[in-house]
Amino acid sequence: MIKASLRGLLQRKLRLSLAVFAIVLSVAFLAGSLVLSDTLNARFTALFSTINQNVSVVVAAKDPQAVEPARLTDAQLRALSEVDGVKAVSPDVSAQGVIPFRATDGEPVSADAALGFGVDGNDDPLGLVELREGRWPTAEGEVTITAHTAELAKVKRGEQLKVYLPVLNEPRSFTVVGVAGYSGGRDSLAGEVVVMFQQAFAQQTFYGGTGLYGGASFAAEDGVSDDTLKQRIVEKLPAGFKALTGQESSEEQSAQVGVLFDVFKYILIGFAVVAGVVGIFLIFNTFNIIVAQRTRELALLRALGAGWGQVAGSVLLEALIVSLVGATVGLAAGIGVAAAGEAAITSQVELPAAGLVIAPLTVILAYLLGVVVTLIAAFVPAVRASSVPPVAAMRDVVRPDKSLTALSIVGAVFALPGIGLVLLGAFADLGGTAFLVLLGGAVLVFIGALLLSPLLARPIVRGLGALIGRGSAGNLGVRNAARNPRRTAVTAAAIIIGVTVIGMTATVVQSFKTSLEDIMGDNIGVEVMIQANVTAAPDGRQGFNPKALDQVRAIPGVKEAAAWHFDALGVSVAGQPQAFGIFATDVGQASRMFPFDATDGQIRTLAAQELVLDDNIAETLKLKAGDRTPVVIGGVTRDYTVVGVYQATPIIQGILVGEAAVADFPGPLAFQGFVSLNDGVDAAPVVEKIETIMKDYPGVQVGDRQSYVDQATASYDFLLIAVQILLLVALVIALLGILNTLVLSIVERTRELGLVRAVGLSRSGLVWMVTVESVLITVFGVFLGLALGVGLGAAFTKALMTLEFATVIAIPWLELGQYLLAAVVAGVLAAVIPARMAARLNVLDAISYE
Amino acid sequence: MTTAAPPLTRQRAETSAARASQVWKVYGTGEAQVVALRGVDVELERGRFTAIMGPSGSGKSTLMHCLAGLDSVSRGQVFVGDTEVTGLSDAGLTRLRREKIGFIFQQFNLLPTLTAEENILLPLAIAGRKADPQWFKTVIETVGLGDRLGHRPSQLSGGQQQRVACARALVSRPEVVFADEPTGNLDSRSGAEVLGFLRRSVTEYGQTIVMVTHDAVAASYADRVIFLADGQIVAELTAPTPERVLDTLKSLDRPAPLGTDL
Ligand SMILES: Nc1ncnc2c1ncn2[C@@H]1O[C@H](COP(=O)(O)OP(=O)(O)OP(=O)(O)O)[C@@H](O)[C@H]1O
Ligand SMILES: [Mg+2]
Repeated sequence: MIKASLRGLLQRKLRLSLAVFAIVLSVAFLAGSLVLSDTLNARFTALFSTINQNVSVVVAAKDPQAVEPARLTDAQLRALSEVDGVKAVSPDVSAQGVIPFRATDGEPVSADAALGFGVDGNDDPLGLVELREGRWPTAEGEVTITAHTAELAKVKRGEQLKVYLPVLNEPRSFTVVGVAGYSGGRDSLAGEVVVMFQQAFAQQTFYGGTGLYGGASFAAEDGVSDDTLKQRIVEKLPAGFKALTGQESSEEQSAQVGVLFDVFKYILIGFAVVAGVVGIFLIFNTFNIIVAQRTRELALLRALGAGWGQVAGSVLLEALIVSLVGATVGLAAGIGVAAAGEAAITSQVELPAAGLVIAPLTVILAYLLGVVVTLIAAFVPAVRASSVPPVAAMRDVVRPDKSLTALSIVGAVFALPGIGLVLLGAFADLGGTAFLVLLGGAVLVFIGALLLSPLLARPIVRGLGALIGRGSAGNLGVRNAARNPRRTAVTAAAIIIGVTVIGMTATVVQSFKTSLEDIMGDNIGVEVMIQANVTAAPDGRQGFNPKALDQVRAIPGVKEAAAWHFDALGVSVAGQPQAFGIFATDVGQASRMFPFDATDGQIRTLAAQELVLDDNIAETLKLKAGDRTPVVIGGVTRDYTVVGVYQATPIIQGILVGEAAVADFPGPLAFQGFVSLNDGVDAAPVVEKIETIMKDYPGVQVGDRQSYVDQATASYDFLLIAVQILLLVALVIALLGILNTLVLSIVERTRELGLVRAVGLSRSGLVWMVTVESVLITVFGVFLGLALGVGLGAAFTKALMTLEFATVIAIPWLELGQYLLAAVVAGVLAAVIPARMAARLNVLDAISYE
Repeated sequence: MTTAAPPLTRQRAETSAARASQVWKVYGTGEAQVVALRGVDVELERGRFTAIMGPSGSGKSTLMHCLAGLDSVSRGQVFVGDTEVTGLSDAGLTRLRREKIGFIFQQFNLLPTLTAEENILLPLAIAGRKADPQWFKTVIETVGLGDRLGHRPSQLSGGQQQRVACARALVSRPEVVFADEPTGNLDSRSGAEVLGFLRRSVTEYGQTIVMVTHDAVAASYADRVIFLADGQIVAELTAPTPERVLDTLKSLDRPAPLGTDL
C-alpha cells in the first residue's frame, strides 16, 4: 500500500508540484515576514547595545515623562561615582526636541530623533562619542555637532547654527566649534541629529539650574560584574531614580524608541497573518481538488481489496511527504526573501549588523502551516474518497454536486446573528461599546459570508457572466466557473478576505474625510489654522509661543486670532483620567469661530476655575451646568465650576477651560492657532506671512482649511496605504491560487477541452474560455468582498456618526473601481499560464486522455 | 441491409467526401517504431455509410484520425471534400472541423455543464452560426430526444448520450461524420437505435458517415465495409450482411491471427 502511494506520488508530477508550490508559497510569505521582522528587531537592539557597549549601569529618572522629572544633584552624582567598583562616570544632561535649522534655507531639519546634550569639555569617558575636528564647547554660545547633523543642517565648523531649545521654547544662534562622530567611524547611530552644548548652559536651559543631571552611565572596574555594580548603586540610589544594567537599558530603549520599526513590524506581522490565512485556503483548495480527482483511482484500489483505512492512509502519507517537502522549501525560500528584504532596508537605513534571526517560533509556524494545514486539507477529501464505493472505478465517476444545504445553514447561523449585532452596533446608541458589538458582529458576518460563498457563487458568477461571457467560448467559461461552486468560492476566498478588509477601511476613511470637509466647509469662521505636529502626547511643551499671535493680529485683513493650548498628559476630571486631554482658550472668542451649541448653561469666556464640556463627556462624567468638580492639570488639583454644556460635533468636542489655566499646564506653548479673516480677504498671502512668523517653531504648520483637512486625514491615508499593501500580498497569493485551481481544472477537463476543440473551438477561443473563468472567480471574490467591506464600513461609520466623529457615510467609488480593475487584471494574469496549457493540448491526445 | 441507389435528397458534385492517397503513419523511431498505416488509398463517396473493420491494432482509429485531420500523416495526402487536410495549420484545421466534420466518440462525448440541447448546438454556437430550425427539429425527431433536451448528460443513459452525440454531429450538416466505435459502450438495443439513426441520416438526408467498429452487426448497417490488417486495406465488401462480414473477418484472421506480430 505504501509502495502504491509512493509510486502514485511520482506519477502525478504536475499535480503534486502544484501542491508543493501552494505550500511553498504560503510558508515562504509567512516565514519571510517573520524572519525579516525578527532580524530588523535584532539589528535595532544591536543599535542600543552599541550605545551601551561600555556601560555597565545606567541611572535614570523613574518617570522621565513627569512634569518635573527627578534630577541628580552634584553631591548625589559624586556619591554614586564613589561606589566601589566604578571605573568611569558619564553624567547625562540631555533633552529631546533640540532641533537645528538648516543654514541654507532656515527650515528646521527633520529627523526622527533630535537630541541635545551638555558636555563638560573632556572626551566621552565611555568612548562612544569621539571628536573628529575642532573641540568640545566651552562657552555658552558654542556647540559641537555630530557629522550627520552637520550634513543635514549644511553647516561647517566655524559657522553659525540656529537651534530650537525646547524648554526656552525659542531658537538661539550658536557657533559650531567642533564636529564629532561615533566610535567605529559612524556619523549617526540611526539617523538622529545631536547638538552638544556647554554643560552648565545645558543644565540651566534643560533643567533650570546648574549642577543638575538627568542621570548617569557608569563603567565597572575589571572583575566587577554589571549586576554586582547595579546592586551596589541601587543601595545609594536617591528617590525617584532607577538603575539598569547596560543590557537592560538597551532592551528598554529599543522597546521605547522603535516606534518606526514597530509600525514596520506590525505591517510585516500583518503580512504573515494574511499569508497564513490565505495560505490555509490555498493549500486546502489545492489538496482538495487533487484528491477529488483521484477518486476513480482510489475506488480502483478499493475494488482490488484495499481497506478504508489503507486508502485514507495512503492519501495522508502522500500529503505528509508533499507537505514536509513544501514546508522545508518554503522556509528556505522565506529566509531568502527576508535576506533580500533586509538588504533592501539596510541600504536605506543605517543599522548595525546582526545576522538573520530564525526564531524557533518561525520554524514551528512554518511547519504548522505547511504540514498540519495540508494534512487537514487532505484528510477531508481522503475520508470522502475512501468512502467511494468500489463500483465507482468501473464507471465514469459522475461526482454529483454535494449539497450545499448543510454548509449554508451553518453559514446562516453565523451570518444572521452577526448582521443583528452589526445593526445593533450601528444604530443603537451604545457609546464606546458599540465598536465591540460591531467588531463581534463583523467577525460573525465575515465567517458566515465565507461559508455562504459557495451558495452565492453560482448566481453571482452567472449574473456577472451574463455581462462578460459573450460568445460560446465565453459562455463555456462562465459555466465552468459556475459548475463547481465550492471550488470557485474557496479559490476566491483569499480575495474575499483581502477585499473585505480594504473595502471596509476605504469606506470608513472616505466617510471620515467627507464628513470633515463638509463641516469645515460650512460651519466655521476660521480661514487659517496653525497646528503643532507632534508624535508624543501634547502637554504645552510643543507648539508656539502664544505671543507670536500678536504679530499675526497685526497682519492686514486678519480679524481675530485665537490660541488653543492643549494638555493630554495626566489630566483628570471628576476623578476620571481624560485621555483626550483638556483645552485652554478664550471660549467666548472660540464660540465666534466654531459652532458651539449650548445644551445646558452658557458658552462664554471663562474665568479661572471654570469649564465647559460637550454633552457626551458631560453624560459620562454625570456633570451639568453649575456643578463643581475636581480637575487635575499638571499635577495640580483645583475645584472647577461647570459653566456650560455644548453639543459635540465632529470638529468641536472635549473639555475647555479658560486661558488662566495655562499656568498649570506643563508647558506654556499653544498647540493650535485659529485665524479668522475679514470678508473678501484672500487666505493664501496671510498663510505665507504667518508661516514666516512661525518659522522659529519647528513642527508648527500653517495652512488653510483644505490643508487642515488633508493633515487631519493624513494618518488615515497612511492606514489605507498599509492596508492596500496587505491587499496586494493577498492578491498575489490569490492569483497564484487561481492559477493552481485553473491548472488542476484543466488537467481534470482534458477530455472536454479535446472535445470542444474537435467540434471546432479555436485556440484563441480556448484561451478566452479559460480567461473568462479566471476573471469571474476574481471578480466574484471582489464583488463579495466589496459588498461585505462597504457594508461593514458603513456600519462602523454609522457608529462613528452616533459618537459625532463623522456626519455622512461616503462610499469611495473611485477606489472601489480601482480594486475591481486590479482584480480583473489579476484574473487575466492568473489565466495566462493555464490558458496556454489548454491551448497547447493536442486535440487527439486530449480526446484519448484518461 | 443493402443500399439502394445514392439518395437524391442532397445533390452534390460527384467528388468524394474524403480521400486518402498513399497515407503512411509511423509512430516512434528506431526500436520502438510502429508502422500503423502502410500506404493506404481509400475514397469515401458522398452520401454513403462506410464501416472500417479489422483486428485490434490494425490501424482503424489511426486511419480515421488521419482522415479527420486530428492526427498528422507521415507521408501521403488526405482530402476532405476539396480541401487538402495534410499541411493545414491549426487555424485551418479548426475551420475544417467547424465547417466540414462531425465527430462521434466511443464515450465522453458531451460537456457535463451543458444540457442535451446545448450540447447538440455547441458546434454551431462555436462557429457563430444559427441552427436551421427545420433541420434541428428533424434531427431531434429522428434521434427521439424531444423530451430530454433540457437534461444534462449525467441525467441521461449511455444510449441517450450517444444519440445526443449523433444529433450534435449531424446538426451542422458536415461534409463527413466520423464515428469511432460509437456503439462500443452500448447494449445491443441501444446500439441498434443509434445505428438505425445513423443509417436513416444517410438514406434520407444524404449524410456521409465513416464508422469504425468491431461488431459485424453494426458493420452491416453500412453501405460498404473496408477491412484493415497490419495498416493496409486487405478487403472490401459492399452491401454487407453480418454473415458476410464475419466470414471476411475469419478469412483475415487465418493468415494473421490476432496477437501475432503485425
Ligand atoms: N500514439 C501512438 N504511439 C505509438 N504507437 C501508436 C500510437 N497510437 C497507435 N499506435 C499503434 O498503432 C497501431 C494502430 O493503432 P490503432 O489505434 O489505429 O488501432 P485500432 O485498429 O484502432 O485498434 P483497436 O481496435 O484496438 O482500437 C497499433 O499497433 C498501436 O499500438
Ligand atoms: Mg481504435
